[in-house]
Formats: sequence, C-alpha cells, structure tokens
Amino acid sequence: MNNVVEKRNAGEESAVGRFVENLKAAPHRFTETMFRSGRPHSDRTRSTFVFGNVFLHLHSVRTHRWSLRWSATWGLGIAAFSCFFVLVATGVLLMFYYKPYPDVAYLSIKDIHFVVPTGRFIRNIHRWSGNMMVVIVLLHMARVFYTAAYRPPREFNWVTGMGLLAVTLGLSFTGYLLPWDQLAYWAITIGANIAQSPREVTDALGMTQWFDVGGLQKLILLGSEEVGEEALIRFYLFHVMILPLALVALIAVHFWRIRKDGGLARPVDADTRLGPPSGEVYPVFTEAPQKTYSLAAIVKGRTAVVGRGPEQTIPSMPHLLFGEAAVFMLTIALSVILAIFLDAPLKEVANPAVPENPAKAPWYFLGLQELVSHSAFMGGIGIPMIVLIGLGLIPYLDRETEGTGIWFGGPGGRPLVVGSAIFGLAAVVAVEAFVIRFGWIRQWWPNTPQLVVTLVNPGTLLTFLYAVYSVWCLRKYDSTRAGALALFTCFVCGFVVLTVIGSYFRGPNWDFYWSPSQWPGH
Amino acid sequence: MKANKHLLLWSSLAALAVLLWAAVDENFLRDWRVIQWGIQARLPSSQADAFTIQLRQIVSREVGATDRCVSCHVGMAPGESGIEGDRLFGRHRDVVHDPASYGCTVCHGGQGRATDTADAHGTVPHWPEPMLPKEYLFAGCGGCHTHLSVPNLTQLEKGRARFEQADCLACHKLDGRGGTLRPGGAGGQEGPDLSRVGAYGFKANWYEHHMEQKKKAASGPWVSAFGELSESERREIDEYLRSRVGAPGLSEAKALFHTLGCRGCHKVRGVGGDDGPDLTAVGNRDPGQLSFAQVQGERTLANWFKQHFRSPAAVVQGSAMPELGLTERQVDQLTFYVLSLRRRNYPEALWPKDRIRAERFGMREFATDGATLYGTFCAACHGAGGEGMRYPGFAAFPAIGNLDFLRLVSDDFLREQIKRGRPGRRMPAWGQQEGGLRDEEISRLVAYVRDLGGAAYEGDPKPRRWVEGDVVAGERLYVKACAACHGDRGEGREGPALNNRVLLDLATDTYLFKTIQNGRTGTSMVAFGAGSTVRGALTDAEISSIVAFLRTWEGKK
Repeated sequence: MNNVVEKRNAGEESAVGRFVENLKAAPHRFTETMFRSGRPHSDRTRSTFVFGNVFLHLHSVRTHRWSLRWSATWGLGIAAFSCFFVLVATGVLLMFYYKPYPDVAYLSIKDIHFVVPTGRFIRNIHRWSGNMMVVIVLLHMARVFYTAAYRPPREFNWVTGMGLLAVTLGLSFTGYLLPWDQLAYWAITIGANIAQSPREVTDALGMTQWFDVGGLQKLILLGSEEVGEEALIRFYLFHVMILPLALVALIAVHFWRIRKDGGLARPVDADTRLGPPSGEVYPVFTEAPQKTYSLAAIVKGRTAVVGRGPEQTIPSMPHLLFGEAAVFMLTIALSVILAIFLDAPLKEVANPAVPENPAKAPWYFLGLQELVSHSAFMGGIGIPMIVLIGLGLIPYLDRETEGTGIWFGGPGGRPLVVGSAIFGLAAVVAVEAFVIRFGWIRQWWPNTPQLVVTLVNPGTLLTFLYAVYSVWCLRKYDSTRAGALALFTCFVCGFVVLTVIGSYFRGPNWDFYWSPSQWPGH
Repeated sequence: MKANKHLLLWSSLAALAVLLWAAVDENFLRDWRVIQWGIQARLPSSQADAFTIQLRQIVSREVGATDRCVSCHVGMAPGESGIEGDRLFGRHRDVVHDPASYGCTVCHGGQGRATDTADAHGTVPHWPEPMLPKEYLFAGCGGCHTHLSVPNLTQLEKGRARFEQADCLACHKLDGRGGTLRPGGAGGQEGPDLSRVGAYGFKANWYEHHMEQKKKAASGPWVSAFGELSESERREIDEYLRSRVGAPGLSEAKALFHTLGCRGCHKVRGVGGDDGPDLTAVGNRDPGQLSFAQVQGERTLANWFKQHFRSPAAVVQGSAMPELGLTERQVDQLTFYVLSLRRRNYPEALWPKDRIRAERFGMREFATDGATLYGTFCAACHGAGGEGMRYPGFAAFPAIGNLDFLRLVSDDFLREQIKRGRPGRRMPAWGQQEGGLRDEEISRLVAYVRDLGGAAYEGDPKPRRWVEGDVVAGERLYVKACAACHGDRGEGREGPALNNRVLLDLATDTYLFKTIQNGRTGTSMVAFGAGSTVRGALTDAEISSIVAFLRTWEGKK
C-alpha cells in the first residue's frame, strides 16, 4: 500500500504515464516491428529492407546495372506477373457472383454486368488483363530468346518459362468458356475439335476404332462428346483452382531459378560496355571487398562477385524495386484504362443448335485454326508439337557463348533477324495467298488420300520452307544460334500473319474476305 | 531511378483516376439512377422523402423472369403509386396478367436483367429478343396463348358488322368502345365489357336471357337498343364474340392468315404444308441472324417481315413464295400475326387453357367450317373463289371451282384427291398423316369446293375404264395437241402434270375423255372436241386413243 502511494508521489514514472507514452509510440513501433530494420537510409538498412522482407527477399540485395536498364528486359516478366496478380484479385471478386452451370452461368454474367456494383468494370479488367498476360508472356519469351538469355546456366528456366506459357494459354482458354455465350461455346467447340484432330490420321490409317487418341483427348477435355455441363464445371475447376495453383508453383520455381542462376543474363564484358557509373547513381559500392563471399561458394555455378568488388551493382532498394513498382502500376493502369473504355464481349446465350458461322477459337489459337483449315492433324497437333519441341530444345542445342545478354546477339545479329523477318513474312503471305487464290490438292484432285493432304499441305509446306531457310542460315554463319535466330523469327512472323488472317480475313465457312462487311447476309 | 519514380507516380495516378471514374460512373451516371433522381425531383416533397433510389426488380420463378424494367419504369413496380400520365413513373394499365407476378418481358420482350436503356429494350447487338413495337404489342400473347377456332376474315368481319348493327355497343364495351347506356338506368347495372369474352366464355343462352329482360322492361335501352335477332345473326355474333380474347387486332390478323391460304405451304404447330418453312416459332427469330442485305430501313424483325411479304424472293434469295400482291394493311396484319408466333417454354402447370386445348386435346386454331378451311389451306393456290392462281414465275395453279371440272368429279374423287395430293407437285397430301386434315374436315372442304362452282356431279354410267384406242396414234396426237402445255412426257409445264400417279389412279376414263372433249371453260384448256379457226376437231376415236396413250404412263414414273 505504501509503495503504491510512494510511486504515485514520485509522479514522473506512474503506470498511467507509461501507458499513455506507449500508446503514443504504438504506431511508430508497429512500423518498426513490421520492417524490422527501420527506414532504408543507409546501405545496411537498404540491404536488410530487402532480405528482411518475405516478399522482397527473392531479390538479391544488390542488382547489376546491366539488368536495370529498361532495354534489358522491358520489364516484361514483372508485367506478366502483374497481370496475374490483377487476374487473381479480379477473378476472386468475380467468383462471388459467378455460377458454373449452363445458362445460369450466362445469367450470372449478365447480373455481374448490369447489377453487381462495378461488376462490369471488374469483369472488363479481368478480360483485358487476361489478354494482356498472353501477349506479354509471348513477348517475354521473345525477349529471352533474342537476348540469348536461355544459355547456361539458365536452360532449365527457359523450359519452366515454356511451362508457364502453356499454363497461361490454358488459363485463358478455360476462362473463355465460362460466360457460356455463343462466342464461348463455339470457340471451345473449335478448340475441342482441334484436340480431336489426331483422328484425321487414325481415320486415314483405318485404326480409329482401336486407337482413337483424338477422341480420347477431346473426351478428357470436355468430359463428354459435346460442350455441356461437364465441360463447364471441368473448365471452371481448371480455371479457378488447378491451373492457378500450377502457375503459382511454376512462378515460384521460375523466380527462384532467376536468383540461383545468377540474376539476369548479361554479356561477359557488361562492365566495359556500361562504362563507369555516372555520378548520379548513388550509392555505388567502390571499396575493395572486406569480406570473402564464401557463402556463395556453396551455390552451384559461378557468382559474379567472387573475388571482386561489386562495383557495377547498386542496391536493389530503391533502384530495382522502384522500377518493378513502376512496371506493376503501369500494367495495372493499362488494363484499367482498357477496361473503362472497352467492354468484354458477351453474345447470345450458348445455343448448341445454332452454330456461329464463322466459329472462331480464341485469338491466340486463330493461327492454329488457319492451319487446321488446311489439315486438322498438322495444324492442331503436328506443327504445334514441332514448334514446342523445337523451342524446348533451343537451350540444349545452342551451346555457343557469343552474344549472350545482347539483343539479337550471336553470329548474324540484327541483319540476320531483319532478313529472316522479311523471308518469314514473304513465305507465309505467299503460301496463304496461293492457297486462297488457287486452292489446294483437295480442290484439284478430290480423291487424293487423306494422308497425302496431311503430309503435304500449306502448313507443312511453310514449316518446310522455314526449316530449309534456317538450315541455310546455320550453314552460312556456321552457327546454331544463327539457325535458331532465323527459325524463331520466321515462326514469329508466321504466327503473327496467320493469326491476323484468322482474326480479320476469315468469314463464314472460313472463306477469305477482305473485310467483315463483305460477309454474305450482312 | 528518377524516371522510374515518375513512371510509378503517373501510372499510379492514372490507375487511381480510372478507379475513381469507375466509382463515379457506378454511383452517379447509371441510367436508372439518373431516371430515379428525375422522378424524385418531380414528386411532391412529402412523397419524395419516402422515395428511395434503388434498383427494383420483379422476380417470377415460375415464368423465369428477372425483370429490372421497373428500375426505370418505377411506377409499375409493385407497391409504387406512380404519377398519373408520367411516361416513366406512370402506372401500368390494368391488365389481366399482373406485372407484379408475371414480370414484363413475358409479354413485351426485351432484356429484363439489363439496367441500361438500350440493353433493356433489347435494341443492341447480340440480344435475340428486342421489345415488341407498340403497334404489335399484342403479338406478345402468342408466347403462351393459342387462340382457337379463328374463322377467316370475311366471316369475322361479318360478325363484327352484325354485332355493331345489332347495337350491342350501346350497353357493352368492347376494346374501349361503346357502353354509353346503362340498361339498369342511372346507377344501375352496366353492360359487361365484352373485350375478353372469348377467353373466359359466355352463356349459350344469352339471347333468351336478353329477351326476358326486354319483355320485363318498360323503357330504357332494353326497349330502345335491343331487338330480335335471327338464328344466323346470333351465330355470327357468337363467332365474333368467341374471337374477343383481349388482344385487339390479333384475331383479325390471324383471321387474315386463315383467309390467304398460308397454311397450304407452311406448318404452324404441326398443321400445314411442307413447301415453306415451319412458322411455329418464326416470331422468336433473332434479327441478328437474318440477312438484311436486301432490306431497307431499320434492322427489326417487323421490318424484315414486311419487306418479305411485299416481295419474298427479293429478301430471301431463291424463295419459292410468290408475290401475293398484298395491300399495306394486309402486310401490316400478317406481320402482326407472324410476330405472335413465338413460343416460351414454361412448365405445363402454367399453360393457359387454350394452349392445353390446342396441344393436348388437338383443338384447331382455325375454325373448321368449309369456308375457313378453304381459306386456311387452299386459297393461296386455288384462288379465293376456286378460280386458280397465276403468280409471276410459277406454273398456273388449277381452277378447282371450274364448272366443267366439278361436273366430272364425284365427291369421292375430290376427297381422295385432297387426301392423297399430287406427289412430286406442289399439292400436298392432306390425309391423316402429320400436318394433315381430319376426315370430317376434308368432307366439309369437299362440300365447300362443290359449292364454289355450284355444279353437281353429273354421274357416270360407264365403268371406270372403258376406253380402247390406238396407243401409237394417241401418242402422235398427244405430241401435236397436248405436249406444248402438258410436257412431252406428261410432266406438266403450263398445264398440270398428266403422268401423275394419283391423277391417273383417280381419274376415270370418262373424266379424261370429257375433259379433252369439252375443255375447261375459262382456262387455257380448250374444247378439243370442237374445231377452231386454227385447228380441226378431234374425233371420239382420236380422243380415245389419246386417253389410251395417257394410260400407258400408269405405273411408270
């Protein structure tokens, strides 16, 4: 009792006083405890800011100046990840209202459009981000290829990236069906028929009744013979759970491997190419290393800083992180701007009795659909498999070192890429123009066996032309990289031109039209 | 670094601005909000406070309607009082089907779930069912109802004239007209409104009931307005009253359909010919799926139908439907009727009784008297009076009301002919198969056709087959005299096909012989038994040999 009174008399250190003081300090302490090391003012705190944060510690503490130039990556990887982030956020919101059952699904999209507060806007963002993600992932792949960034030790990350591309396309494709409108229904029907295209070969060989791999693929995809409720629930499950989880797992591997493979690819002579850092870049670590980087020795492979001061690296916080934040916000800004002006399409409710004519697959498959119109098997399975296997083999076949980390690096360089682009465009336009003008074997000799058409069709002809050209470049420059540059460029041109033809110049019955205004019946 | 910071700043600001704009748009610029604010401003202040700005909707689980039309047309929302005469806040007219329980789109069409004006009215791409235009509003009834026993237009108009001549409108209201007098005197009973009397039925003995009242009365409309009616007059009035189902104009439009013979080629709900498309759900067609390449004006279903009725082949390439030479009023009425050929799928428990009668008990939509049957199935080809038809671009259709024809054919011939049709020609078989007519209906048709010419069957003492003739000579004569019109192998050209299986089976030798000999007055078929300035007469023997030659086609195609 006495003690209490004494303390109260002492005045300045009463419990109430301390309580009030603690209360005042709470916000400050909360921030401190959250970021552990306080504000990033010094080199030391900047470092702890990065590795003391669960979200940021995937970055290295210091980043090479080469990687920080915009032209090194154009921020495409982060942009793709930003799209995914936006897609998850908006997708979860949409899931609150979406009901995955035929017809009801369509009505729920109508409700999202008309009644759910800002539902139309959220759906538009989701749609635009989804399309942007496909485009950005493709561009990202092109960037990695053209800067030869797939070379050792990054071969496996290239393959991971291909997995990410496949999952991204899968996500977009499964999402395409969910609105359950005519566009969705017939696009997925086309997609499922592409999956069924091996039947063209098994039919021609007369073995479909024993070995119907095409039918099996379609059945696995749709859960039924036709697009229906089984297909819808299946696509929904893939779209909202299985594929996103797969994507997250692959992204984790992809990011982790970037760190473990020593950051972004850069040329051996990056330091000389960059020259001395300008005075504005602060702070540059110029002192001789006081520590050995023994810890780095247990990581497989070489690290750039062993035995040498990291004179060309600068703290990731703020330099890298602000760049990434800028790309992140830029991507979001682009998708919301598109979303506010352009509504996601929603046609009539799906009606299996009224086929869309033309029924078109999602745009990124329209190049394939164009090839499928010539030969289902080659367009749907053959050529995509050749392309996928070719892409996957690139890092294992190209073991050269010249030009790593440099745009269009390697023998031939930019002139070779320009030449290949010209050849690639000319070849695809010529082949398509010929087919559109004069038709193909089936029109000339209606009784030609199917196997002949499967083997000799505009798609295989184009692939053959590209392959021959690429081998020619390979021999000319005496370099696998040169052949790869030629082939990749040709296929990009083919993909773009075929996609454009499929999107804009194909009308009812997949006939050629200069513009939709010439379509019959309009 | 600095550039990145700027980029971060400006892209964040841009994203934020868009998000803010989306919030403003959602909360202040939605069509229905703006409209409800306008309504609130016009309400007297006491009501304005109670008026909440909110999304309103009518949900009807039975008919599957979620109609948010009442978010803008607030006065029609359940529980709202509305402002008299206000376009958007006015109340719905009193109708039998309460909008509060049936919703709006069931009758009006449009997109019930939408909350933007154009989307809701359905006048946007990719919405298959825009709202019905106001002038064809009652076409919406066809979504559920099937109006039964509708006679042809002549009879309906006769009934209407009789109804008006008998001064029924003095006491009774009908489609908003009449009902000025009160039979019970001032303050007394009103004459019942007859606008929907066909839907809920009326007493068969209304006339006797009226007569009793008249006898009792000493003055007033019972004495001045009501008079005696003959039995045939009463029948006509009855028929007219049965057509009053609360859809003004629609019964008349349907009656016109039963006058022009459209079902000769078109099926509606399973009954009709096969030459033209089935019209059962033609009013449901999506204007987005139609070709408007040759259609001027607005891209609506109504406009498409109108232009199509004026000139079918111009709108639909290769159409086998002739230009009917319709008046604008008829075009309008037919458009009205085909728009009403719409079908909504509801549980059977919700079907109105007329639809159950039609689809479960096989009651006919057309009246089954001879005149209406003829108008419904035959008039388009054989002419309203059996005079035959000649449309540009089509072979002539036979005149079945022709005296020379009717004299030569028995009722059995006509009955069998209607039942079996002319295979391979445009005359379908109307027998018991799908889409056909019932025996008693065919009998009434035969009687009606017989009346068209007013000629009885003159009888035939000879056996069905008696002709003996020289087939070779017959062929020579046929080629010379007949082939020009009937075709080298009797396949028919300007004249009917003579190698037709059913014709050769039904026709007696007398029929063929006398038709060649006497011709058909008023048609291209002249009397070959009599000579003319350009051609000598055929002798009986020559005619016999032609008939013998015709018989060689029997059993062949």
